[in-house]
Amino acid sequence: MSSVPVSAYLTLALILFCIGLYGALTKRNTVIVLISIELMLNAVNINLVAFSKFGMIPSITGQVFALFAIAVAAAEAAVGLAILIALYRNKKTVNIDEMNDLKS
Amino acid sequence: MSFLSILVFSPLLGILVLALLPKTQESLIKLVGFLATLPALVLALIAFGTEDLTKYDVVKEWIHFGSDASLYAIDYELGLNGFSLILIVLTAIVSTLAAIASIHIKKEWKGYFMLFLLLEIGMLGVFAAQNLVLFFIFFEITMIPMFFLIGKWGYFEKEKGAYSYLIYNGLGSAILLIVIMVLFARTGTANISDLAQLMAVEDANTPSPISESLKMGLAIALLIAFGVKLPIFPLHTWMLRVHVQAPPSVVMIHSGILLKIGAFGLIRFGFGIFPEQFKSLALLLAILGVVNLLYGAFLAFIQTDFKMVLAYSSISHMGIVLIGLGALNEAGIQGAIFQVVSHGLISALLFFLVGVFYERFQTSTIANLGGMAKGMPLASGFLLAGALASLGLPGMSGFVSEFMAFLGLFEVHPVVAAIGCIGIIMTAVYLLRAVLGMTYGKAGREFAGITDIKSVEFVPVLVLLALIVLIGVYPSVLSEPLQATLETIMLGLGG
Amino acid sequence: MENAWIIPLFPLISFLFLLLFGRRLKENSGYVGMVLTFLSLIYSLVVLFDRFNHPTYKAEATWLAIGDVQLTAGFEVNQLNALMLVIVSLVSFLVHTYSKGYMHGDDRFHIFYAYLGLFTFAMLGLVVSPNLLQTYIFWELVGVGSFLLIGFYFYKEEAKAAAKKAFIMTRIGDVGLLIGMILLFWQVGSFEYDAIFLAVEEGAISAGIITLTAILIFIGAVGKSGQFPLHTWLPDAMEGPTPVSALIHAATMVAAGVYLVAALFPLFTASETALMTVAVVGGFTAIFAASIGLVQTDIKRVLAYSTVSQLGYMMLALGSAGYVAGVFHLMTHAFFKALLFLAAGSVIHAVHTQNIEEMGGLWKKLRLTGPLFLIGTLAISGVPLLSGFFSKDEILIAAWANGNPVLFWLAVIAAFFTAFYMFRLFFMVFTGQARSEMKNVHESPKVMTVPMIVLGVLAVVAGYFNTPWFGTFLGDWLVEGNEALGHGHTEGPIWIMIVATLVSLLGIFLAWLMYGKKSLERDWLSSRMPTTYNMLYNKYYLDEFYALSVVKTTKGVSVLLSYIEAFVVEGIVKGVAGIVHGLGKTGSKIQSGQVQAYGTVAFVGLAVLVVVYVLAGGYLK
Repeated sequence: MSSVPVSAYLTLALILFCIGLYGALTKRNTVIVLISIELMLNAVNINLVAFSKFGMIPSITGQVFALFAIAVAAAEAAVGLAILIALYRNKKTVNIDEMNDLKS
Repeated sequence: MSFLSILVFSPLLGILVLALLPKTQESLIKLVGFLATLPALVLALIAFGTEDLTKYDVVKEWIHFGSDASLYAIDYELGLNGFSLILIVLTAIVSTLAAIASIHIKKEWKGYFMLFLLLEIGMLGVFAAQNLVLFFIFFEITMIPMFFLIGKWGYFEKEKGAYSYLIYNGLGSAILLIVIMVLFARTGTANISDLAQLMAVEDANTPSPISESLKMGLAIALLIAFGVKLPIFPLHTWMLRVHVQAPPSVVMIHSGILLKIGAFGLIRFGFGIFPEQFKSLALLLAILGVVNLLYGAFLAFIQTDFKMVLAYSSISHMGIVLIGLGALNEAGIQGAIFQVVSHGLISALLFFLVGVFYERFQTSTIANLGGMAKGMPLASGFLLAGALASLGLPGMSGFVSEFMAFLGLFEVHPVVAAIGCIGIIMTAVYLLRAVLGMTYGKAGREFAGITDIKSVEFVPVLVLLALIVLIGVYPSVLSEPLQATLETIMLGLGG
Repeated sequence: MENAWIIPLFPLISFLFLLLFGRRLKENSGYVGMVLTFLSLIYSLVVLFDRFNHPTYKAEATWLAIGDVQLTAGFEVNQLNALMLVIVSLVSFLVHTYSKGYMHGDDRFHIFYAYLGLFTFAMLGLVVSPNLLQTYIFWELVGVGSFLLIGFYFYKEEAKAAAKKAFIMTRIGDVGLLIGMILLFWQVGSFEYDAIFLAVEEGAISAGIITLTAILIFIGAVGKSGQFPLHTWLPDAMEGPTPVSALIHAATMVAAGVYLVAALFPLFTASETALMTVAVVGGFTAIFAASIGLVQTDIKRVLAYSTVSQLGYMMLALGSAGYVAGVFHLMTHAFFKALLFLAAGSVIHAVHTQNIEEMGGLWKKLRLTGPLFLIGTLAISGVPLLSGFFSKDEILIAAWANGNPVLFWLAVIAAFFTAFYMFRLFFMVFTGQARSEMKNVHESPKVMTVPMIVLGVLAVVAGYFNTPWFGTFLGDWLVEGNEALGHGHTEGPIWIMIVATLVSLLGIFLAWLMYGKKSLERDWLSSRMPTTYNMLYNKYYLDEFYALSVVKTTKGVSVLLSYIEAFVVEGIVKGVAGIVHGLGKTGSKIQSGQVQAYGTVAFVGLAVLVVVYVLAGGYLK
């Protein structure tokens, strides 16, 4: 079958995750942060699919789980965007630095 | 409901009745508050007249962990022995008298009395509890009402007083809780007499044996936990603020009974569960006692506020408890127990009188009260009598306890005891300075419109004085019920 | 004798009764006190006569059990106790009677009588105690009685200070007694006098401990009996009403120290050092106080210093193994000193001043008080044929026989001083011209003079119970059946009696020259040695010394401790609170509200954990 080794999948997932993490922690624009989180989620999905094929006990469960994750991520993106819009209406900004309401 | 449960929870009835009363009915509330303390008093006196105390024991299954039915069970266990019975009687008496003294409370009587009665439940429960967890629960129950009683009905810096009370005692109970939990986890039981037996046996059959060094650590932790309550120098500063800031009726309870929980805990748990460890701590206890005695006495000597004098005098007198405990013999321990009771009565008397004076003059500063015997001869006479009792005049309870504690200590550590004797002189010095400063000498003020001690105020004074004299003249009234308890303690100490 | 316990109860009843109902009885309270003390007196006499024919009686019951040790309470009637019972109840009854007149018009009349009852109860209880613990209990109670009565005029600052001083000074002594008593208890296992003497006799106690405990107990006696260096409270105690001075600070309570040493005499004789200490302290006090008495101007203070000096005499006697001499002088002194105080009270009652510089020429106005005062003065000066002569003579013989000439000559000089200052007092008060305007001077009422007359008679005849001429009944009886107490009478050289008589007469003569005949200028001596005079007048500056040393030290320690309290103890507390507070502040600063910062921290934390896990080789397992 395919000669693509498992390490390639994992490396791709790692790169994707790191990009996502970097974006989520450093970007000032909330929309970009949200997109970065989506990237991280998809990195996880790649890992799930890769292990469902090459894992110690290959099973279809991993792919099912990835589908679930995609569905949930879509819902989450919708909710997240809704919150962002609500926030934007309140604050008239998408800059994350100004969203420090957690500080008393 | 069993006898002891009724005894402990009888003030609850008062709380329920009070809850239904409108809060503007001042005199009715005060009456109900007073009446609610009576059932406990009557029942305690009935118990005091009983020969066989074991018939009052109550055991009900309560909380249970794990599958082994005999291990990790916390039952609802109440019981009495000679020592705890005496303290329950003391609690009941002082509570009733403090309820009378509460006539001087000026606001929100309803809340005051509800908290007051809750406090009484806690105190009665502390002395009746037969297992550590139950003890701890009641111990905490005393703390919460006390916090509010100080913080809401106290004087100028009441909040500060209340917070330092809460913080110090909170720390103390945290340490106590650790000790209790370690014991419970390691032995599987929280029952005090079971624990005492398990500790006495080598290689006892417990889930996890306790090493000697851990025992020592637990003993020291207990000493600190109850040392905060007693209080032992240098853990005493919270208690000064409470004495000065809390209303006199609350201080009667606090100084009369709550401080005694420290001594009670040391004797019952310290000596009961860790006799070997406390044996090796004995000299330390005796020295701490002498330090307390002298430190309190010297500082009381220069105070300008009579309440501060009494606060330091409490520290000083609690030193005698430690001195007695440090002696480790029958005379010393009996002296310590006597001192617990005696100081409870005497400080209740003195603080009641402080309340009487404060009510009339709005001050407790010694210099502002000079020559009071002119205007209030009776109250001044009672104050002098209280001071004489406090400085250990024979024929009053203070002497018996002081004498026995020193008698005990002289057998084992004569030098320490001889240094402690300076405290006897200093006690006379500071008390006479303060009391004569208030009552004798030229009157610094007009006494027009000032009434002497009157009507209902006589009751606490006379009852307390009578008890003080009774114990002083006929000490067997206390020592006989104590005999069995003392023998148990001495057996644990191996002597 | 079996019912001797009832004797102290009469005054106790008086105390309680007057405390409860005295306010309504007003001055009739006096009768209650008088009747009840009279009952005590009668019963004491019955007991005394009973004791002549019967052996010592003792009864006890358990008071308090400590483990296996039973502490008992009870009463004992031996010779000394029976004698003391009579002395105390007699003087107390007479003072009760006298006070009816002296305190007339005082609005706290009933309180006065109540206190007198309390004191009498305690004093009678003290003298029947069969063990040290009970003695200590009553010992403290007489102290309180004394304290209350000294402070009777509570609105006077001086009375307040004097009462406080009396209580505290005696308490210092009491602590010595307490320690000595407890140490003895752990040696003997009992507080009983009998058991202690038995242990001493059997040699069950080491010599060092005997000396130590005896001296500690003696410290108690020093405090109570106003011996140097704890004597300063006694002259100040004269702030109390005069009958009180007569009862407590002359006849009974201050003699309790002497009584205690006498009661524990076998313990003291077992230790040379202890006995020597008693003798030296007594001898020194005798001359020390007498020298102060030479120059005082307050009538009661002169008498007070004379009391201190006479008590020193008694201690000297006991310390010189003169048991009989000490007890005998205790008895005679009780009578003539009580007489002197009551007479002084009568003078004060008449002229309303205590300063002898303002008196004079009262002999003609006080026709009864004057002669009675003279009798007392003659007795205390040791003029032959009066009681003081015989007892003082016994003491001098005992001191000589004990082989300590220094103490003997000290005692002789003190006798000279005594005669001099007592007659100085007499001449200044009763002879010459009045030195200030005195109106309405009149003799005291009968209720006051009759007790004085009784005491006057006793001051004359009390000596004849024990004389080298007619027989030493009292002495023989006192030591009967107890060899540890020594002999009933010690033979001494005849010249001692002559010397004693001569020095007293010399003292009287000198006083007459200076104050009676005035052929010598009053200040011919004091002007020559102003330093000495000032030192004596200021009582050797001892009060000032104590104020500077002891009081200042105590205050200093207290202030020092209060600084420790404020800075060290509170400092630690504040430090701990500060650290917690600081931690909280720092923690809340980290909470910036920046979600990304939180995320970074969480990620870095996770990374660190993973690295640690990997480095620890965790994943291999």
